[in-house]
Amino acid sequence: MKKRLSVLASVLTLAVMCMTGCGETGAGQANAAAGGTADDKGELNLFVWTEYLPDSVVDKFEKETGIKVNVSTYSSNEDMLAKVKSEAAGAYDVLQPSDYMVAQLIAQGMLKELDFDRLPNFAHIGESYKDPSYDPGNVYSVPYMGGAGAIAVNTDKVDLDITSYEDLFDPSLEGKLVVLDDFRAVIGMTNKAMGYDLSETDPAKLALVSDKLMELKKNVALYDSDSPKSALISGDCYAGMIWSAEIAMAMAEVPSIKVIYPDEGAYLFFDNWVVTKDSPNYDNAMLWMNFMMDTENMAMVLEEFPYLCANTDAIAIMGEEYSSNPAKNPPADAIAKGSFVENLDSDILELYSDMWTKLKE
Amino acid sequence: MSGKTSKHEFRSNTLPALVTVGPVALLLLFLVVAPLILVAVMSFCKTDEYYNVVYEFTAANYTKLLSVEYVKIYARSLLISFVTTFICVLIGYPFAYIIARTKSKKKKLLYMLVIIPFWTNSLIRIYGWRSFLGNNGWLVKLLTLMHLADGSAELLYKTGTTILGMVYCFVPFMVLPLYTAIEKLDGSLLEASSDLGARPLRTLIEVILPLTSGGIFSGCIMVFIPCLGYFFVSNILGGGNTDMIGNLIERQFKSANNWPLGAALSIILILLTILLVKIYQKLGGDMDSLGV
Repeated sequence: MKKRLSVLASVLTLAVMCMTGCGETGAGQANAAAGGTADDKGELNLFVWTEYLPDSVVDKFEKETGIKVNVSTYSSNEDMLAKVKSEAAGAYDVLQPSDYMVAQLIAQGMLKELDFDRLPNFAHIGESYKDPSYDPGNVYSVPYMGGAGAIAVNTDKVDLDITSYEDLFDPSLEGKLVVLDDFRAVIGMTNKAMGYDLSETDPAKLALVSDKLMELKKNVALYDSDSPKSALISGDCYAGMIWSAEIAMAMAEVPSIKVIYPDEGAYLFFDNWVVTKDSPNYDNAMLWMNFMMDTENMAMVLEEFPYLCANTDAIAIMGEEYSSNPAKNPPADAIAKGSFVENLDSDILELYSDMWTKLKE
Repeated sequence: MSGKTSKHEFRSNTLPALVTVGPVALLLLFLVVAPLILVAVMSFCKTDEYYNVVYEFTAANYTKLLSVEYVKIYARSLLISFVTTFICVLIGYPFAYIIARTKSKKKKLLYMLVIIPFWTNSLIRIYGWRSFLGNNGWLVKLLTLMHLADGSAELLYKTGTTILGMVYCFVPFMVLPLYTAIEKLDGSLLEASSDLGARPLRTLIEVILPLTSGGIFSGCIMVFIPCLGYFFVSNILGGGNTDMIGNLIERQFKSANNWPLGAALSIILILLTILLVKIYQKLGGDMDSLGV
């Protein structure tokens, strides 16, 4: 028995040695690749949203600077946060968090301050996009693109004159809505419809919101964040609250679909470039951020992904088709009236989560 | 047996066994046992203000699961899984019977019909159903042509649509064990039954069903249990209107960012699964026949 155990132990040790051994050689090779020749400009590890950064732009950056760019993608802020925390420090240099997630990353001390001497292209960013509530003074972040949870209506199918989130609760829309499968967006919209704050924290008010959500439940046929435009295009849904850029794509397919920014003020989101605290390639990260704020490069992005853009000089060269389309380029007053989701204390967030569970029970 | 030979046997058996089984055992230890322990521990943890897991004991995650919403969602998941399993038996049994008893060359073809759908990712097949059933889909076009609909029909985003999708996904898991059981059925017993004057229905109830009950059992368990945890069918075909257990768990690990609660929900699902397998064994089910 003893001998058996000792054999087992030696096999275990061997196996563990193999694993760690492999790990070391792997890292060694990576270092060799990174530090290789004298004129090697090193690398840059990006962690960005899916369907948000064209390959052509990344290729252009690599060609201009000689820096090797590695791109990884995520599809929710929470996924990104979990991944960054579980990876080794410095695994990613540049992230692309949304508004409220920037605030969370700052609060947890996960970001590095930006060196604006090396970001002259920040001048192209519109004044209204600077100094955001989630990062006062742009200490840690520069804006990229964003949009609104706007209202889409197929005017051929809906007679109701929809102007607000409140109108989506109308009984005539029973079983005809598509909304984002996102509890902060849908509960936020309901908060707004009742005249409360997008990120309301008063439990007494939230109890009323929870009842109001039951009215919405009857109207919603589909909860979809991935491709909500499809149900509108196919005619399975007539109206809804979805990303403004998705509405732009639906409008291109079905002309009777219109975009409406609600009277109450829309739910807004904005994604930003930030650098992680342990980034080993800070210099390259600065080069990347400055490159992405260049007007030509940003226009390349907009050609492919028509989101709301913070780079006002890039919008200027995009021409009429982009700037006059209210779904691609939301009007300034709609943006001014809208608000971002704010971070909630964990007990309030749990309340939101419970309301959502009740909506879906 | 002398001591020398036994020592020789020890040498020849243990080391090869360790070399061959060892890596698998290690893999299972690291990839199955350790994560399960982590899930169990996490289900008793709290979260801090940034929703990080804090390793402090609390039973709150479990007491929360007793609230009405969660119980309702569990009950609905059980109900949907039950209905799905029942329909799978109704559809799967005759089909499996035909494949198993047919003597023609079509047997292979019929068997392939069950297997072929697996060559395409189930997510893609479910999206296929969505376009097929949608207002732009072929079914509505066909119904309109037959004057049974007027250009639109509300077929999507209902609980019934979810069940349809589930049945579609899980019928093969019912057919395969049933096929194995029916194939083993001795034809002379059926002849004997009819020789002794039993009508076909009586033969079915008193001879065929009891003899193939093992297959029905294992088919049911292979459909019912994965059904409980399936979430994308209710998201895509059911429109995400009504949660199943799987949706609830997925959300805790993603948008709601409450990993301890998600862990507690998973533990309950695991316990439920173990319970079902135990019942299956008690009823005389054979664990080997689950390994289809």
